[in-house]
Amino acid sequence: MASYTSPTLLLTTAQKIPTTLSLTHPSLSPLNANTPPVPGSKLDLPLWLAEMLAVSKPAGPESEALATVDMPQALGGRVMNALRAGGGSVELRGQAMAWYGLAASMLELFEDEEVATVVCDTFKTRALLISDRAQNTKTAQQQGGDGSDFMGGLDETERARNDPPSPSPPPLPRIPNRHPPNCTPRITTS
Amino acid sequence: MSQRFAELGNKLIRDAKRTQNLPDLPSYQSETVRATVREVRDLDRELEHLKAPFAGSFDPSSEPAIACAMLVNHLSMRRNKRCLLAYHRVRSDRLEEMCWKGVDILNSEQGADGRGRGENEAQGGSKSSLSPEEEEYVRQYEDLLAAYKGQWTDIDLTGSLEPPKDLFIDVRVLKNAGEIQTEYGAINLTKNSQFYVRQGDVDRLIQQGYLQRLGWT
Repeated sequence: MASYTSPTLLLTTAQKIPTTLSLTHPSLSPLNANTPPVPGSKLDLPLWLAEMLAVSKPAGPESEALATVDMPQALGGRVMNALRAGGGSVELRGQAMAWYGLAASMLELFEDEEVATVVCDTFKTRALLISDRAQNTKTAQQQGGDGSDFMGGLDETERARNDPPSPSPPPLPRIPNRHPPNCTPRITTS
Repeated sequence: MSQRFAELGNKLIRDAKRTQNLPDLPSYQSETVRATVREVRDLDRELEHLKAPFAGSFDPSSEPAIACAMLVNHLSMRRNKRCLLAYHRVRSDRLEEMCWKGVDILNSEQGADGRGRGENEAQGGSKSSLSPEEEEYVRQYEDLLAAYKGQWTDIDLTGSLEPPKDLFIDVRVLKNAGEIQTEYGAINLTKNSQFYVRQGDVDRLIQQGYLQRLGWT
């Protein structure tokens, strides 16, 4: 449920991406550790801020935007290559807490076909691995630490989907061995 | 002025996210909330300060740097507002859910503090995990719910949705509650005694926390 007040969405957009401001002003100092940022220098700004600055053009549609954004490292060349080699090999949580959310937002800004393909393929591969591990947790644990490394590296979306209700055994049929209802209640005091 | 551009808001959101996964409501972060509101006021003052030299006729295209600063301030204010709303929304949703489940929130708050910190501190209402406004909200919501339920006396809207498997259930007494009357006579509820009683009679007591149901039903 991605509503305005959804904490998941808010945490996703709080992630930082590298931004290059084209202008500077003293009141922007808190963004740059309390010194006015130099125009053209790279800062790590949260997504909600960087996105708006990238699409704002105060001097009209023909002029420059207030900032330009780059792909974050979590979606950079090295990670993409590792994912192409094997979707389950990367600890997505280590790259970004909400990696898929980040990828979705960046793809809205950039329209990079290759990254989109890699993200989709990764999702599919990992979904298979997760469901496999979730249903066979016992064998996965027996196979050693490898299982827990993968499960520890899941990002937020995967974790939320990975909460399968543990299949409980059906309750045994109660054999009625109680007194019939019209007797006084049996009281035991421990 | 060391504004941190919605870092505090982020803290609230992380707390809200954590709350969604916890069985109990963590304590209200009044300090962080107050600090976030202060940050919004500071950002607003900064914005007024930037606008002041122009006296109403500000042209963004001629002063893009100032426009950028204003935009950043404005976005931060909106972000902080959104974080505050999300935090309070998550908490109030959780409180409403607890009301519907029949959890006695206000009394169990004070009771829990007493058990946790020793009997002599049972009066410490300020240590409860709800803010005073939340307590008022819960009080009024419970009244509203009671008025709503009161329209249909033969069904209990906040009762369990699972049909009972058995007419009688095993219960254990958690707290001394004196004597209760059932169809089969009076039962004396002393702590740690077990009874085999009719479910309908003791439902209310289970909800209030005096009895604990045994078994898997």
